[in-house]
Amino acid sequence: MAKKYAMIHDNNLCIGCQACSIACRAENKIPNEVYRIQVWIQGPNQHADGSLNYDFHRQSCVHCENPPCVKVCPTKASYINQDGIVLIDKKKCVGCLYCVEACPYKARYVDPVTQAPDKCTFCYESRLSRGEQPACVTVCPTDALIFGDLNNPSDKISQVISRKITYQQKEHLGTRPKMFIVPNTQGGKIR
Amino acid sequence: MNQLWGSMDQYHQIAWHWEIAVYLFLAGLSAGAAISAVVVKKISHHSESNGLVKAGAVIAPIAIAAGLLLLIFDLTRPLNFWRLLVHYNFTSVMSVGVLALFIYFPLTLLLFAATFHEKFSSGMFACFKPIAGLAKSLGKVIDALVLLFGVIIGAYTGFLLSAMNSHSLLNTPVLPILFLASGLSSGICANIIVGMVWFHQDLNINEVASLDHTDKIIIYIELLLLFALFVGMFYQGQEAAATAAQALTHSAWAGVFWIGAVGVGLLLPLVLNFAFSSSFKSSPSKFIMFNATLVILGVLSLRFYILYAGQMFS
Repeated sequence: MAKKYAMIHDNNLCIGCQACSIACRAENKIPNEVYRIQVWIQGPNQHADGSLNYDFHRQSCVHCENPPCVKVCPTKASYINQDGIVLIDKKKCVGCLYCVEACPYKARYVDPVTQAPDKCTFCYESRLSRGEQPACVTVCPTDALIFGDLNNPSDKISQVISRKITYQQKEHLGTRPKMFIVPNTQGGKIR
Repeated sequence: MNQLWGSMDQYHQIAWHWEIAVYLFLAGLSAGAAISAVVVKKISHHSESNGLVKAGAVIAPIAIAAGLLLLIFDLTRPLNFWRLLVHYNFTSVMSVGVLALFIYFPLTLLLFAATFHEKFSSGMFACFKPIAGLAKSLGKVIDALVLLFGVIIGAYTGFLLSAMNSHSLLNTPVLPILFLASGLSSGICANIIVGMVWFHQDLNINEVASLDHTDKIIIYIELLLLFALFVGMFYQGQEAAATAAQALTHSAWAGVFWIGAVGVGLLLPLVLNFAFSSSFKSSPSKFIMFNATLVILGVLSLRFYILYAGQMFS
């Protein structure tokens, strides 16, 4: 059966240390001036009881089930593969950058070397094909990232998703992201 | 780079630059010139010897060819552009646009050949004589197709942008209609200017005046469409309303909109028309040409504004 790869980012466990970003750069040999992933630290937010907290936003591709980048690509260079991962076939890419503009998550950048758009692939072409977890997930010191196959009920991600409250970014656009976020509950604040 | 997570430059980059703004302008102008040339041909007595028809037949292919060249050079991988002609994706407005352009561009060349068929009877271009003859005999079919594909090209430039729900200034159903209307307006004005400069011996000044009058009606429609676009964004609430407020007040692009697109392009021609039209009766052609230039500059400003502000404010 086809896989349905997805990820959970737990805002209560994340500490914004950027280890995920550095691991990604090393594993995928990302050029200096661009990023597949950043963790934006937002805050401190002050609450009514005087407590403070930070929010952590994982800025990367959310691997939509209904991806706008794939819909607008004129040559089908952007595609969603059988395991639900959004990828780019650089050979077919003309560099019109329609996908870069159409992505509501600003997940894509233009690779300064190939001049084609690039983005997070869940390490599909490297680690995943060797049966390993994506680089960001492996290095996370607080286990704030969980990666797995939603079509497999015994996979850890399926169990966590059925237990914890999660949301997806910009759900109203109908993109159906496979990046699930556990909202921050610190400071009594629940989104 | 002040923040822990690194440079955020890539999130503020604009993917589509001036080449695309000029392309959107030229495609609209080409479509507008072709549509108005065919309409003038249908209602005028002198049909294709009419200077306005000749102007449209010259402008339509040149404008679209120049626009397409810009489009190719703006690709980050221009040597790969041929793949656009080989791979198609029917959910992509760009891909559908490539197909439409595939039909529209040759149609404008046929319109040119049919209009100037007697120029191909001898001389260095005589090798095109059979094509010109064929275009002439199929004149009515070509006219109908030019009309249809002119509307498709004019509207497609708007759909290209409105298909993206990542930017609320672009993601509105008004945009394709606004681009079609303003493209038609710029095409009419281009026909008037080129007609008066190059083909003035074939011009009937009454026809020019009535075309100019039609353009004024389109300007009123454009004002209504712009009003509907921004009011519609305010009604959408939160995100779109904030974007509309920013786009109308922030950065130099708000100036390009208010001064260039609305002021120079729409209001000034209307005001000048009210204030001076009777006193300029002695030289109406110069007055109409000046007005037409203002309108074209305004349409170009509108394309720049929508493209840049649309990408900047999401």
